[in-house]
Amino acid sequence: MMPRLLALAAVLLAGCAPLTERVILLPAADSAGGGRTGALSVKATRGELLLAEPYAQADVIGGEPRLLKSSPEAVRAAYGALLAMQPPRPRRFVVNFELGGDKLTPDSEPVLEQLRLALAANAGADLVIVGHTDRVGSVESNDRLSLQRAQTVRERLIAAGAAPERISVAGRGEREPAVPTDDEVAEPRNRRVEIKLR
Amino acid sequence: MDLRPLLCAALLGAAASAQAADAAGIVKRLQGAVTLQRGGQSLPVAPGTAVQVGDRLVTGADGTVGITLADDTLLTAGPGSTLLINDFRFDSTTNEGGLLASLLKGTLHVVTGLIARQTPQNVNVQTRNALMGVRGTEFIVDARSDEP
Repeated sequence: MMPRLLALAAVLLAGCAPLTERVILLPAADSAGGGRTGALSVKATRGELLLAEPYAQADVIGGEPRLLKSSPEAVRAAYGALLAMQPPRPRRFVVNFELGGDKLTPDSEPVLEQLRLALAANAGADLVIVGHTDRVGSVESNDRLSLQRAQTVRERLIAAGAAPERISVAGRGEREPAVPTDDEVAEPRNRRVEIKLR
Repeated sequence: MDLRPLLCAALLGAAASAQAADAAGIVKRLQGAVTLQRGGQSLPVAPGTAVQVGDRLVTGADGTVGITLADDTLLTAGPGSTLLINDFRFDSTTNEGGLLASLLKGTLHVVTGLIARQTPQNVNVQTRNALMGVRGTEFIVDARSDEP
């Protein structure tokens, strides 16, 4: 009788072990993660499992991860406030330049205006500015020109209210064309600065 | 499984990379009580505050904070949370690097960034009892236990 009772007690105690961690895999909200849900391994003291489907849930109880299934409704009910406070997803902008210099094309002015508005709405914004060139000219001169273009955009965005200490600037020259071309081809789409606003 | 050796290795890595003095991330959104603990000091937090490796973010019962790391990883910690950035390295040219963050208690929403696309095996989130290994993904961790 006693061993049976002990065995029963052990089963009951195991059942009473507290939930210590809950992990839920979410579907990718946009293309930032390549549009894939991806997967997540959950490794605890007494086992490991893989979450690979949207809303797959691991509850860690007594060091053992158990596979369960959550839902959009359950996530919204329990974690809606958390999800609502996410930082904004990074946004990308592109401005273009006239041949051989750091003069912006007229088409690029509305893009800078959009950036100015977005900056005004985002107190903690930071910017990553990367300049590019087409393949006219030497690799070395294009490295300089791409950086000069990025600096031009930096100055414009500081004037629009961006915090200088939260801007990073780089020039990639002709190495990363938007449209691949032969050498010495003047391609307007490659004369650009890409701006990431976060 | 004892997570301590892993944590210690991460802390050593943190000490080395903190000298680079580059911010790992920037606070983007917050509400309620949020403090940043760095080198024994408790610092105020506002949108735009830089977060470094080794920093510990602590939210009050009404507090929530959202951080964007340099590789576009988004971390949002809910009320009653303690989040430690153990290690962060990122090469913006190759998108290679690594991230280890610890949720000591509370809730954390994660949207992984560029590192997870390039070197997903280097992106991990841990709690007291579990280690989450990322393979390019978005998820929530809820650490109920706050025992020492």
